[in-house]
Amino acid sequence: MELIVFVLASAMVLSGAIGVVLFRNPVHAALGLVLTLFGVAVHFVSMEAHFLAAVQVIVYAGAIVVLFLFVIMLLGVDRAEDLTIEPLKLQRPVAIVLGAGVTVLVAGAVVRGADTLGRETNASAPGDSNIRALARSLYSDHVLAFELTSVLLIVAVAGTVVLTRRLKKSEG
Amino acid sequence: MPEQFIAPSIDWFALSPYLVMVAGALGLLVVGALTPRWPRGLYSLVSALTATSAGVLAVFIWNDVAEMGPGTLVGGALSHDAFAQFVTIAVCAATALVALVTDAEVRGTVLEGPEIHALLLTAATGAMVMGASNDLIVLFLGLETLSLALYVLAASERTAAGQEAGMKYFILGGLASAVFLYGIALLYGGARSTNLGEIVARFQSTVALERNDSLVLAGLALLIVGLGFKVAAAPFHVWSPDVYQGAPTHVTAFMASVGKAAAFAAMLRVLVIALPFHRDDWRPVIWVLAIASLVIGSTLAVVQTDVKRMLAFSSVSHAGFLLVGVEAAGHRAGEQISGDGLESVLVYLALYSVLVVGTFSIVAVVSRHAGGSTDISVFAGLGRRRPVLALALTILLLAQAGVPLTSGFVAKWGVIQSAVAERSYAIAIIAMVSAVIAAFLYLRIMVSAWLADPSEVEPEPVPAMTGVAIALAAAVTLVVGVYPELLLGWTDAVSNFAR
Amino acid sequence: MLDVIWLVPALPLVGFLAILLFGRRLGEPGAGYVAAAAVLGAFVVTVGAFFDLLSLDEHHREHVSVLFSWVPVSSLQIDMALLADPLSITMALFVTGIGFLIHLFAIGYMHGDPKFSKFFLYLNLFVLSMLMLVLGENLLVTFLGWEGVGACSYFLISFWHTRESAATAGKKAFVTNRIGDWGVMLAMFLGFQAVGSVSYSALNGAAESGALASSTATGIALLLFVGAAGKSAQLPLYLWLPDAMEGPTPVSALIHAATMVTAGVFLMTRMNPVIAASADYAPQIIAWVGALTALFAATIAVAQHDIKKVLAYSTVSQLGYMFLAVGTGAYVAAVFHMVTHAFFKALMFLGSGSVIHGMHHEQDMRRMGALRTVMPITAGTFIIGWLAIAGVPPFAGFWSKDEILLFTLASSPVLYVIGLVTAVLTAFYMTRQVVMVFFGEARWESHADDHGAHGEFRPHESPPIMLFPLVVLAGLSVVGGAIQLPSFGIIPDSWRHRLEDWLHPVVEPGEAVIKGTAAYDAKSWLALLAIACAVLGIAAAIAVYAKGRAKPFEPELLARGWRYDETVSAFMGGPGRRAFDAVARFDSGVVDGAVTGTASGVRSVAERLRRGQTGFVRNYSAVVVAGVLGVLIWFVIIRGVL
Repeated sequence: MELIVFVLASAMVLSGAIGVVLFRNPVHAALGLVLTLFGVAVHFVSMEAHFLAAVQVIVYAGAIVVLFLFVIMLLGVDRAEDLTIEPLKLQRPVAIVLGAGVTVLVAGAVVRGADTLGRETNASAPGDSNIRALARSLYSDHVLAFELTSVLLIVAVAGTVVLTRRLKKSEG
Repeated sequence: MPEQFIAPSIDWFALSPYLVMVAGALGLLVVGALTPRWPRGLYSLVSALTATSAGVLAVFIWNDVAEMGPGTLVGGALSHDAFAQFVTIAVCAATALVALVTDAEVRGTVLEGPEIHALLLTAATGAMVMGASNDLIVLFLGLETLSLALYVLAASERTAAGQEAGMKYFILGGLASAVFLYGIALLYGGARSTNLGEIVARFQSTVALERNDSLVLAGLALLIVGLGFKVAAAPFHVWSPDVYQGAPTHVTAFMASVGKAAAFAAMLRVLVIALPFHRDDWRPVIWVLAIASLVIGSTLAVVQTDVKRMLAFSSVSHAGFLLVGVEAAGHRAGEQISGDGLESVLVYLALYSVLVVGTFSIVAVVSRHAGGSTDISVFAGLGRRRPVLALALTILLLAQAGVPLTSGFVAKWGVIQSAVAERSYAIAIIAMVSAVIAAFLYLRIMVSAWLADPSEVEPEPVPAMTGVAIALAAAVTLVVGVYPELLLGWTDAVSNFAR
Repeated sequence: MLDVIWLVPALPLVGFLAILLFGRRLGEPGAGYVAAAAVLGAFVVTVGAFFDLLSLDEHHREHVSVLFSWVPVSSLQIDMALLADPLSITMALFVTGIGFLIHLFAIGYMHGDPKFSKFFLYLNLFVLSMLMLVLGENLLVTFLGWEGVGACSYFLISFWHTRESAATAGKKAFVTNRIGDWGVMLAMFLGFQAVGSVSYSALNGAAESGALASSTATGIALLLFVGAAGKSAQLPLYLWLPDAMEGPTPVSALIHAATMVTAGVFLMTRMNPVIAASADYAPQIIAWVGALTALFAATIAVAQHDIKKVLAYSTVSQLGYMFLAVGTGAYVAAVFHMVTHAFFKALMFLGSGSVIHGMHHEQDMRRMGALRTVMPITAGTFIIGWLAIAGVPPFAGFWSKDEILLFTLASSPVLYVIGLVTAVLTAFYMTRQVVMVFFGEARWESHADDHGAHGEFRPHESPPIMLFPLVVLAGLSVVGGAIQLPSFGIIPDSWRHRLEDWLHPVVEPGEAVIKGTAAYDAKSWLALLAIACAVLGIAAAIAVYAKGRAKPFEPELLARGWRYDETVSAFMGGPGRRAFDAVARFDSGVVDGAVTGTASGVRSVAERLRRGQTGFVRNYSAVVVAGVLGVLIWFVIIRGVL
């Protein structure tokens, strides 16, 4: 059962990701992203991290992708890039070989080291203890990391202002 | 059965440099948004002062560390040691210098305002966090803070080249970040912790032969790639020439100083401090990266005609030198007597940060006058037009070449000396040969500045604050070159870091 | 004056700064006088220091003055310190003394040059660096000066940089010198690694006491020799010196004849205990390189037509003699020859400068002749220089060359024969030059039309400020040999071996002992043989060039320096350049993507740009991912599985 869910969810994640890359139409690509994010949420559910799954759906699929879609609609959807021309003939075969090589090596390493992976999981605890553990971890061990993400947001805000400010305003 | 939640204790004073920087950024943004445009240069001054005060605080914290010994902060997320303070001071100094230069560069453009300075300060915060991080997640967040800010800064100028540079940097940087993050995940799988202290403890207690390390090794591989990208070590340097050339010059200065310093500090944290028991695994890779960077950086620099591109390749070769030091540090990492490698890298970073900001500031002044061109021909006759500026340029370039009586010599001497002390003769010889080759490139710029006939007779205006920054950088370069003990005596203490 | 030895480099520094700051206001000739005065001051202090040292007991003739501790960190103790001992003071004496004379000469020679003050700026900087080099108490201070003289040489060679050849020559000097510098740096690190210090006293002390392993000593000695060969223009790095003649003539005299090029010999002498402690083949290599350079350069000099090129190859050849002396353990003779060579070669370069000045920048000897009638003082002094270098007694060059040959014979008969042949050639080509320039018929009149701008073309004698140095140097070239007279019957005992006694504490560990060898016993005969060789060379040249008894033998191959330069240039320009270009193409063609490689010009610019950009990032990421793969292969397969 667990395995079937895993395979299905992974298929969702991967096909969504490939779709994001391959779809010509940006709206379709954004929908592919939604599929990927849903797949991740399913993974969370299968690991009994229900809270994270909910957050994943609400924040990513709900808020962020909707924002993407707004932007895409505003900019116009009819602009599709033509990707059939490949200026470098070698590029694709090389990319395939490199990608395959990296995948095989990382997968091989994970398989070899699989027996060293811990099996400890406390997610089976009932009710809200899951959220509690998350909160505990977030506000004790990782409180600094949590706060640092807010610095990252400052960068995002200031960066947006810098990148989008109109040219005319320089006179003002 | 609600158990008592115990919040981690927070030593606010030890965190003060970070708080000051973030507060400065926020203050600039908020106050700047609510008030009419400030008088000229004030934004720059405020951010330079912010960075300076953070640096000064770090000096006091260093004092505390020296008295009470190293430790960790906020539940083991950050290290509280001399290493962190040293990186903080170097980053703050470079940031302050860049902030001074930025003023003239953005004056009169859309960018004039608090935002660009807020970005500089937050980026510097990220860099400081990278240098102090004691946890891979914190390290990654610091890296992202720095990188995101740099992407935006690189694209901040509305020129095709600038936008292109920002885009390229963003895409490739995203790739590197993904690789780095994957590396953290794999390492977590193998070590069952992201905390550097716990990682060390874990590998200290197991015998090398008995453990199955393949996850750790794969993670280590990806971490090295991510860090190698950030430090622009060959072959992960491919982005740097385009980005250095396309980005606005003051941003390039920031990238080459703060960006490189933070990435090397992170590399030392991960390799030398967290994974000393895998030193035989990673040292050969660093060896190869060092040699590739030295050779590619110095040979390709020679054939460039654009000064910013030249300096980009020269910064690749500087990365090679720093890697020589990392390699030297790898020989006895984790032992009681661990050699001079780590200190030599830190000294190099601090000195290089300052002199590279100075160099790029001069490039900024000159190219601005030449309508944005950074071709070597615009430097022709600088000695005639602006003798003092040309003198400063000469000092800084001599330092980059590693000529005695400049700080560059002290830096290069340090890393090569530590490599020789570890009997890494091959790498030391290659490093020196590449220094010899690279010297030609600096000389080309100097010859153009002093000997070539000017294509332009009008002397370029040197904005006051940029002038101050250049003068400071040149002065540090000379003073440290003549009296290295000022710096070296100080860094002896750096080896007391947390394990 | 020993306590204020720091004044010696400080005065040229002051001169340098003064000209740097007020150069334009000082103008001509003010800047020249300031520069000359600074060097004169340094000379006076050095003379004072010399007498102070002389008054001391032989074993205490060493004074270290620490200016400040430069790098005083735990294991690394390096002082910015000056060492005044017989060797360094000897060097400093002729650097400042001859330097002063050349400064005076340059005031006249550079008259009217738009960059007059800048010239003296570099000249003072050079003297400063040279003094740091010779007075340094450790390898690092010496190295600082070493780099400094190299940079000044580069600047001064390309001083007239608008000439393409001058710029190329400057580059060539830079590159070959950097190869040498690399050797010195490595030697420095090796020494530091072995002894834990780079000071001469520590290194030499370790070598003398046997603490320095023979293999390490060999390494240091040979690496230093690489540096010395670069700086002192020995095979195969001599290339830059003949080209360096593109610089103004006072520069050729000061840097490329008297001082800088002898830095290599100085360094070898300074480190003589290390050479003595190294394996036997190290000094042999040095001697052979020196001997072959001497012969090789002398053959080239025979066929040159440029008045300065002859002197340049002659300098290379004479430097070869000095290395021959170093290699055979004749350090005193090396220093002796260095001093006498500085006298007569500076004299001849300045003389040639005077000729060039008088001939309105004509350098081809085929357009000269009979100049003794219009330039009597230049001719007279030049002839003294000629007699000195040709090895005619009692001029200075005879004594020093004779001493080198004596030590050479004691070491190896083959080297001795090479030395003798070189001596014949030296006498031959120098006579050829004197004859072509000062005697025979005036060939310049037939070329007067070429100088139409001057109206009537007539060579003239130089102004007194240029002649004064010539006269002084000529005097020194006559009597210079007196500082180290051999022990011959009629020479009073107290006059003999003055330089040897003076240098004894410095060179004692390395100096070869030849008393009692067959060569030493036959030294009177050897001297006669040397004189015979000189006479033979002179006579042959007179027969060919003055009397026209035989056709001049000047094959093309020699005129072009055995094609060595061309071969190297062809390599650097051909395969070497191509290798560099290939790397650059890899960057621009493969890494930088499709822009230069596949864009065939048919496509529109925008199209090209777009493709180029996508090409860029794809290519870059391909390189990065290839790197990922490489690193993964190492970690996962090689370290993980194997």
